[in-house]
Formats: sequence, C-alpha cells, structure tokens
Amino acid sequence: VTDLAAIVGVSHVTPGGSADAVDGRVPSWVVHPGNAAEVQSCVRAAGAEGLALVARGRGTHLAIGAPPTRLDLVVALDRLSRVVCHEAADMTVTVEAGCPLDALAEVLARAGQWLPLDPPRPHATTVGGLVAADLSGPLRFSQGRVRDLLIGIRTVGADGALVSGGGRVVKNVAGYDLPKLHVGALGTLGIVVEATFKLRPRPPWERAVVIACRSAEAAGEAALLAGDLGPAWLELAGPGGLPEGPGEGAAVVVGAAGIAEEVADAQARAVDLARASGLGALAVDDGAALRARFAAFATEPAAAVLRAAMLPTEVGAFVASVHRTGGPVRCLAHAASGVVRIAVQAAEPVAGLVARLRPPLEECGGSLVVERAPPALKAVLDVWGGPGPAFPLMRGVKQALDPAGLFAPGRFVGGL
Amino acid sequence: VPALASRLRSLVGADGVVDRPESLLVYECDGYTLERAVPEVVVLPRSPAEVSAVLRLLASERIAFVPRGAGTGLSGGTLPVEAPVMICTSRMQAIEAIDVANRRIVVQAGVVNQWVTNAVRAHGLRYAPDPSSQPACTIGGNVAENSGGPHTLKEGVTTNHVLGVELALPSGELVALGSAVEERPGYDLLGLVVGAEGTLGIVTRATLRLVRAPEAQRTLLAVFESVDAASAAVSGIIAAGVIPAALEMMDRLIVQAVEAAFRIGLPTDAGAVLLVELDGRAVGLDPEVERVVAVCRASGVREVRVARDELERAALWKCRKRAFGAVGRLAPNYCTQDGVVPRTRVPDILRAIAAAAERHRLRIANVFHAGDGNIHPILLYDERDRDEVRRVLAAGREILEACVALGGSLTGEHGIGVEKMALMPLLFSPDDLLVMTRLRAVFDPEGRANPHKILPDARVCVETRAPRRQAAM
Repeated sequence: VTDLAAIVGVSHVTPGGSADAVDGRVPSWVVHPGNAAEVQSCVRAAGAEGLALVARGRGTHLAIGAPPTRLDLVVALDRLSRVVCHEAADMTVTVEAGCPLDALAEVLARAGQWLPLDPPRPHATTVGGLVAADLSGPLRFSQGRVRDLLIGIRTVGADGALVSGGGRVVKNVAGYDLPKLHVGALGTLGIVVEATFKLRPRPPWERAVVIACRSAEAAGEAALLAGDLGPAWLELAGPGGLPEGPGEGAAVVVGAAGIAEEVADAQARAVDLARASGLGALAVDDGAALRARFAAFATEPAAAVLRAAMLPTEVGAFVASVHRTGGPVRCLAHAASGVVRIAVQAAEPVAGLVARLRPPLEECGGSLVVERAPPALKAVLDVWGGPGPAFPLMRGVKQALDPAGLFAPGRFVGGL
Repeated sequence: VPALASRLRSLVGADGVVDRPESLLVYECDGYTLERAVPEVVVLPRSPAEVSAVLRLLASERIAFVPRGAGTGLSGGTLPVEAPVMICTSRMQAIEAIDVANRRIVVQAGVVNQWVTNAVRAHGLRYAPDPSSQPACTIGGNVAENSGGPHTLKEGVTTNHVLGVELALPSGELVALGSAVEERPGYDLLGLVVGAEGTLGIVTRATLRLVRAPEAQRTLLAVFESVDAASAAVSGIIAAGVIPAALEMMDRLIVQAVEAAFRIGLPTDAGAVLLVELDGRAVGLDPEVERVVAVCRASGVREVRVARDELERAALWKCRKRAFGAVGRLAPNYCTQDGVVPRTRVPDILRAIAAAAERHRLRIANVFHAGDGNIHPILLYDERDRDEVRRVLAAGREILEACVALGGSLTGEHGIGVEKMALMPLLFSPDDLLVMTRLRAVFDPEGRANPHKILPDARVCVETRAPRRQAAM
C-alpha cells in the first residue's frame, strides 16, 4: 500500500469496500492512477507482490465475466479521462480509457461526427470498458463492432511495459493486429489505457418503423426481408420483449439513418414491406431514442441476462423456442447480427435454460453467454460455455502475455 | 531434398511437387521484385487435409516453409528466406458453401478474389474487398495480407469481412478460428491471424461475409490544377459528411501515362485527377453528388465529369485499375510503395515524395486511395542501372520515414514482408515488438512459418545473406 501511495499519492488509494466488489469478491485496495505512467508503476508494484488486479472504468459492466479467482487490487481509471486528440478532418479520435462515452460523444458531435457504438448506459460506460467488454448495440449491424472501429491501442502489460498496437490512421497493416486481441478480452491480457477509433459522420436523421408480427417465427421471417432493405439497425422483440408492447405477438423494428430523403424512403419501404405481408406497421419519429431503449435492454433489471449468438436465419425460431420452454422471459435480438438477449425474470429457471439452450447453439458454431447474473447464480453456472477448439491457443496467448496471472485471473473463457 | 520431394509427392501426387530448377524460377519472387530467392521445392496441396499432411511431414523434419497464393503480393511476403519449402494454395479452389440468406460464403484458400463476387452476383451480393490484383489474387493471400482496395474506404478491409478461418498450424493441426456466426467468446485470434502474413500458419479455408451490391452508383471524375487543390477537395468531401465508396487520386505523371495508353480524353496538363464513387440507395445519391460537386467547385476544380451510364463508369474505372499497367510505358521497371498518412496530411506527403524524387533524380508517379490517406508512389527505374536501383530503395525508405513522421504507418495494405521489416522500429517500440514475437511463438514455437518476415529481430541474421537474396539488383 505504501508503494501504491508513493506512486499515485495517498489520496488516490482507498481500501476496497463492498461497492468495489467484482462478482462478490472484495478487493483489498482501490488505486486511482492519474496517467499511463502511474498505471505502469502500479502494475509493476502489484506484479512484484504477486497481487491480482482488475481494471475498472465506471464499473457498470463488471457483471460480465466469471468471478475472479483472486482479487487484491482494483485499478480505477476514472482519472484517465481525457480526449487526447480529436482530428475531425481525419475522422479519428484518440481517447484515454477512463473517458465516459457520453463525454466523448459530446466532443465528437461538435464536428458532426460520432463513434457509432451504442452500448447500454453510455453515460456510465467508459472507453476502456467498451473495448474490454466488447460492448455494442443495435448499430453494430450497419456500423460494425469495436473490432471494426478500433484502429489503435495502448495497454500496460504484465511487466509494466507500455505496449502499443495499430496507430492513428484508418488503414494500417503494419505488424500484428494487437488492438483486436484486447477487444472483449475483459482486461485479462493487459490494462487498456488509451484507444484510437475511426469515426463516422453523424447522420442528421434517424427514424424507425415498428412492424407487428403474430409470432416470433413470423418476426424472424419479416426481419430477413427487412434486412434486404439495408437498414441502419434491425431489432426483433419477442412476445413481451418491449415493456409497452407488442403484447402477445412479436415485433421487428427497422431503423433508418441518413439524410432526410434516404430516411423517408427507407421508412416508406419498410411500411410497404409490412403491408405486402399483411402486417401492421407504425412509423416512429424519434428513431435514436427508440434505439437507445433497445440498447438499454442488456442492463435492465432481471435475475439474469443471457446472450446467444447464432446465424441470423435462426433468430426467429430460437426466440420462439425460448418462449415455448415457458418461464418469465423477455427476448430482444439484434436480428441481422444473430445476437439474442434473454432477460430471465426469476433466478430459478436460469441454470436449466442455459443447460437446454447452449449445446445446440455451440454445435453450430454459436454460443450462449451468461452476460449478467448475481454472484450466487454465477457460482453454479458456467458463464462462458465451451471455449471451443481454439482454446489451447488462447491459453497460450494468456501465458505469453500474463504468465503470472496478474490480470483478472479466472474472469475469462475457460478460466483464463 | 530429393528424398523430401518424393515424400511430398506421396502426399499430394506427382503433379503437386515442383523441384526442377528451371520450373522453380517462377517462384523466385512475388510482385515485389527487388529481392529474389528460389525455394528448394514447391508443393501444391489440393485440400486442407493435404496441407495438414505436408505440414506434419515438415514438422517431423523441422523444416521451415513459406506459404504462397497467387504470388501477387507486393512486399516480398512469399520470398523464401531460410525456408526451403514453399506451400502454394493455388490448387485449393473449391467454393464449398454459399449461404445467401445469411450472406456467407465458405471458400478454400486458393479461390481467386474475383471468383467470390462472380459466384454470388446473381443473388445481388458481392465480396467487398477489391485489391487491384483481384482477377488473380487468392483469398488465402488476401487474408494473410489483410488486403484492401479502392472500395474499402466505405466497406472496410479484409479483416472486416472474414468471419472465420481454418488455420493449419506449423504442427499440421487444423484449427477453426471464428465461424459463420458473428461472435463467439474468447480472444479474437481470427483478428490476429488476418494480416499476419503467413507467420502464424497457413489459412486453408475462410468464411467470408458478403454485402448487398449497392442499389445505385454514381462515379465522377474531377480535374484539378494542382494536387493541393485536389487534396483540399478530399478533405472537404469527408468534412461534408460524405463517405464515398471510393476516393482515388492520380497525379499528372499517371494521368499522362494512362492517357497515352488508353486515350480516354483525360487532360494531360492537369495537376491531379480525383475519381469519386458514391453508392447506396438511389434516392440519397443525387443530393450527395451535388454536395461533392459543390466541394470540388469550392476547391477550384477545373472540370467535373459524372459518368452517365455503366459504360462511362467502366471507362473511368479502367483508367484507375489499369494505371499500374500504363506505368510500364514510362520505364522498364517500377516499384510501388505503400504508406499511410492521416488523410489531412496528403499534401504534406506528396511534397515529401516530390522532394525525394528530386533529391534522388527519380521519376515518381502517384495513384492512390486519397480517401483513407493510403499513398502509392510508383518509383520508376531501370533495373540494369544499379545506382538507380539504390536510389529507388533510398527514396522509398525516406518516403516511409516521412509517413511515420506525419503520424502515419509503413503500410496500408501491402504488408511488411521482407521489404519493410527493418523499418518496423520506426513505428513500434522494443516492447511492442516483443509482444508480437511472443504471440508468434504461441502459434509457431519453432519459428518455421514464413521465417524472417515482419519482425525485425530476425533481419540481423538475414542481411548477412543479402548477396543471395538480392541477386536481381
């Protein structure tokens, strides 16, 4: 502790409390370094003592992952919150890991730009969390995920070295693609201290069309047709998937973004598509607000949230099968991306649901992850599922970059 | 080697092994011709299983190998350097599955880029990355190099369109990374393998994402008095919130060569020409064209031509896609460099290129992806003039140093290969390179997969062998 205090100053080291717990495990200390060099020193100090550490932004998404097998130190990155460099004309931004997404969005919006990633709770989500947890939302269908937009990264490695990958240009094939390795790695290969993204022009208009369907299967069919319209996003809500509707039926929601002419045209096409199939359609003016509500689904109150990945053509039937198994569940899917979230309202059925749904998904190259669940439930669940045939290589990567298990031990796939 | 060749024949058939010296000459270099080396034996497996069998044999004998697709690479990535065996994937040509509803295709590594789009065009789909060599280059090579192309400004490069690969590890084991499903928990090893230039193993199959062919396209050509004016237009177009499908610049020397070759009516006194393509929904396109034209006017454009039909569009693209061929009229040999700068620094790098040309008494033409700052200076030379070859290498190095100094990168799409290995420390610290070295060892602990590429530590021992490798100079 005296080492840490010497590095960051006494006021930036605090004893860990229950609010700092990661999946129920309380750290001994929380340290708030003020810059990348201090993060390096903290990692070296922790490494010398054999401590296990977890990096934290706002802590909003720490529920993702398996409980850590050890935890001594939380490295809070809230003081690394600068937008280092927004090159508007180059459409790139370099930003420190602790910067919240809403603050970043405000800077970018002044130039008519955005980082088109829309995870839940952007005001309480940091850039580091976005990268480490590979967060995304409805926009991923047209704009890609973190891996598609992240062009450079700075991390602190297990030996305390500052390691850079990628760069600040939008096209770059020099060296191995280190940025991608840290995306979704949950901080198990290093602490992300800075990230560089490519940006997009922020579309001036965003609207949506809600298409009411009689069943999840029918919604699946409608979603496939709507996908051909080239929407900005495409969500599928199972029965009760949206708080205020669509009641017993399901719905497909088609998002359109761009200039006014494009958006009006896309809305009209979606309405035509619905009518041609004998379905009701409702045009929604504030598309961005509706999209944000869909994005928020992942963190809405529930006993557990499961995330299933499959081929887009399987989404409708999958959602229908989840509802047939009974129990109080709500489903919302990034339909065209093949990602379905299941919010399970009570804890009891979760283990059974996971056991039933996971094997057929994994057989087809898909997955089922317990994205959020209380520690007691996680203790009896396999959060990640089978790590797949590449696991020996993944274990090799972990051993190569963090041989002593300093970073978030046990949090990731296969106990990494 | 004779014993090895016969064992290889037993694995892939008599017609799948090349070891006669005169036949091996074909494989002495790829599209990067400044350095040459002949492999001892070339093996052409017909399937992933045969790749695996060949690699198991090489593993048992601890023999190093270099993978190769069509040999169109531009950084010497397939140059055999202390790797006696070359493994060519060009006979692995099966398109194994097409899933129209999910917009996926599974192909073997030797399938040519252009064939992918040909196979799905009838369904209104295409494969987006379109390197200039797309009629010849293979998907396996594209994955290894993370290839780009003119249309990647909007759609992204290879890594954005590969959902899964089957990788043959140097041990011979086949391992699936990623799948047709978009996400799977675990480290993004697929992202690491794409662009690894064959140093982590050999990609044998790939599952690719297909995109809808655009409903409509508008292609326009804008003629400027100077590269500065054209560069200002590039920045202006991006600043106006328009992301063109392609945004290409050609300088005067290239325009003159193209016009001499194809006679399509380009003004040979222009300072620079921009080729702009917009695509998407028909309804949104004309307003975008108007915005682009307005930006060009504000930047002092001399003339804007909008292609009126597919024929005119094809003619405009012809001058861009065949620009490299036209360069053949300017000099016996040329070396295409590949560097990247932030797109606002394009005028700066063009000035640096012009200065390097003057300093080294060279002619350098420029045709490049201006929209993403990916420059392609073409250094003209005559390989019989050994001093000129030396000056070409020196100028190339200075241009890349300038790219890095401007905040850019050593390569946007051609790769590091052998060509730029020694320059890696300009871009990466010893700590960065150490991490890359450690990652490589996870896949290839014995360093047998395409040795002496990308990571500069190896270069030290390679350079002592320079006389053999630089025979062409």
